[in-house]
Amino acid sequence: MKIQILGTGCPKCIKLTENAQKAAKEAGLEFEIEKITDINKIMDLGVMMTPGLAIDGEVKSVGKVLSVEEIKKILEK
Amino acid sequence: MADKMEKDVCCDTKTDDTCCSGAVKTLILACSGGSNVGQISNSLMIRLHMEGIGNAYCLAGIGAALSGFIESARAAQTILIDGCPTACGRKALEKYGVEPYKYFVVTELGIKKTHDFTKLKDETDMAFFSLKKQL
Repeated sequence: MKIQILGTGCPKCIKLTENAQKAAKEAGLEFEIEKITDINKIMDLGVMMTPGLAIDGEVKSVGKVLSVEEIKKILEK
Repeated sequence: MADKMEKDVCCDTKTDDTCCSGAVKTLILACSGGSNVGQISNSLMIRLHMEGIGNAYCLAGIGAALSGFIESARAAQTILIDGCPTACGRKALEKYGVEPYKYFVVTELGIKKTHDFTKLKDETDMAFFSLKKQL
């Protein structure tokens, strides 16, 4: 599973990355984290507010720092 | 409609150097359909964008069920401009539970729906005048 963090690297983007890593570990998933920091690539995905979270190319959240629990719910779907 | 300002919403992608502004973006969508009023809706979207009311955005991306477009519309305040009461734009947003923050229909701004594209400039001016009064 590829967990993609969409954002330029602000503190909230970093926090989302940490939460996503923790959520995936707690869910016992095999995963890799990809940080997409290029604004043009982010906007090509239609994402207009960051941080964003995508799983295997599908955007799940925009403009929010999701909690570990919120991310786990997304990962378990 | 409740304002979507939330303290955990951040990072306007166009101001990445000053990330985490905490502001919710306003996205402007238009039906951009194949009639005079559809094309006027598109012109109104561009005018609002140029006046700094919000950012022109892609309704087709939502119609195509692209996840980034759908999630951005959900997270933003949306201004939607449909051309006529068929309301394709509104129906496209409803599919994903997005309620527009502001909603306009060009035919309700005093423009009759036709397939005559020779008067678009004047009709757009008239519609924009009406729309601005309702913003």
